[in-house]
Amino acid sequence: MLTVLLVDDDAEFTDVACTIIEFLGHEVLTASTLAEAREWLSKESFDHILLDFMLPDGSGLHLMESLQPERNTRVTLITGHPSVKGIIKDMCGPNIDYLVKPIQREDLESVLQGKKQAVSKRSTTAITRHFGQLIGESAPMQELYKLIGRVSKTKANVMLLGESGVGKEVVAAAIHEASDCEGTYVATNCGAFSKELIGSELFGHEKGAFTGAVGRKEGVFEQAENGTLFLDEITEMPIDMQPNLLRVLENKVVIRVGGTKAMPVNCRVVSATNRSMEEIAESKVLREDIYFRLAVFPITIPPLRERKEDIPLLAEHFINQLNEENGSQFRWQPVQLEKLQTYDWPGNVRELRHFVHRAAIMSDPEGTDIELPKTIESPFAKKQTLSTGLKAGRTIEEVEKELIYATLEKVEGNKTTAAEMLGISTKTLYNRLHAYGDLNSDSE
Amino acid sequence: MDEGEFARLQQAVHDARRPLNRITMQSELIKLALEGAVPKDKAMVALDKIIAGSKDCSDSLSDLVAQFSPQANGEGSPIE
Repeated sequence: MLTVLLVDDDAEFTDVACTIIEFLGHEVLTASTLAEAREWLSKESFDHILLDFMLPDGSGLHLMESLQPERNTRVTLITGHPSVKGIIKDMCGPNIDYLVKPIQREDLESVLQGKKQAVSKRSTTAITRHFGQLIGESAPMQELYKLIGRVSKTKANVMLLGESGVGKEVVAAAIHEASDCEGTYVATNCGAFSKELIGSELFGHEKGAFTGAVGRKEGVFEQAENGTLFLDEITEMPIDMQPNLLRVLENKVVIRVGGTKAMPVNCRVVSATNRSMEEIAESKVLREDIYFRLAVFPITIPPLRERKEDIPLLAEHFINQLNEENGSQFRWQPVQLEKLQTYDWPGNVRELRHFVHRAAIMSDPEGTDIELPKTIESPFAKKQTLSTGLKAGRTIEEVEKELIYATLEKVEGNKTTAAEMLGISTKTLYNRLHAYGDLNSDSE
Repeated sequence: MDEGEFARLQQAVHDARRPLNRITMQSELIKLALEGAVPKDKAMVALDKIIAGSKDCSDSLSDLVAQFSPQANGEGSPIE
């Protein structure tokens, strides 16, 4: 929200302009003369001044002398003379803009947004989105871009493997973007449908095919014609539905549920799973014949801990997005970005995005500083302290506690081994854990 | 057209642009009313102001014609 001073002697114009400026979410005060405007400036500070060029007691330009340079107030001169535009344009500094009457809502919106746009432009230009989607310049990501580039030139089906939260759907969209195909990108989650409904989701259904099928429905294969179909959590698809999928992949035709007509389909299928290849083979969640149809070109997406150098870029991107959505102007401090890089992010990019969002909510919306939570706590990740090591100002007890937990994590909770590593008796270790409130009598 | 005439023309255009600006702003207000952002009755008032603004603009244009007519400049009527 900006605080705006509107200086114009046309009462009817100022009345409506105030309504519009307030509708745009800003606070506005008015003055009809230079004297009134000067009085406001002596009492209040403004982010933006909308200033009529011709006022009853002189030119609006005289007000510039009353502005405090350190306030960095933006000024938009309003004029009814197009000829004056040229003169103003010549004297326009970085903080001076102009509007020529008649003025529309969009004009006001764009001049008032100028300041925020400048900030977000400055901070977003450095981040490249590969294939319009992916962020990261690390070696593992460069390798990924190479694979996406290669496979996008073919029609091969792709299987994306990677831990939860690495961005499999984003990679699927990147493949679609790079493919330069005519059709659309359609995404569906195979784990989200019951055995009864997944056939209808994938292949569509005819009217009256089952109870509740009140009309004909196109399946995702048809929707993605000449495009890309993303099947997320493919390994969660019921095993007895898999032969139907295999038939579509082999014959490239679908038959809607309750229908008889075979319809040709043509789309690239990008599937994804968070299970490893070994797990897929051992757990038999995916039929072998389906696997070879889907994973013509398997791509493993690296976890965030293997590309830590991308964490600052991603954190910048997420905070820029939040700034844009909420009109805030948060900025990372270099030391904060270093701290984020010390954590392993077991929940990957999704966890990082969630953490940045949480930090932004905790921070003062009027300021630029981001308040970083002391610990990263996710129910899906082990608690880890954001400490970069020993620093003056911490107590011996705090450092000892941190060392004990780090050692326990390293030895996967084995207290005897941890005690040995720490050079203390097992009894002492138990006493410490008791004191931290982390043990009860049952666990001993 | 000499400099004096051009200055008068500029002033007349400026005067005509003032009601046009009001009309534009009142139209924006009506859009807001239709979007439900401001009360509907404000739209009715805005419409009246647009009508008044159009008349003002018309008057300004008539003045402009009068100012630059040959009679006003002592050049006689073009019909005669």
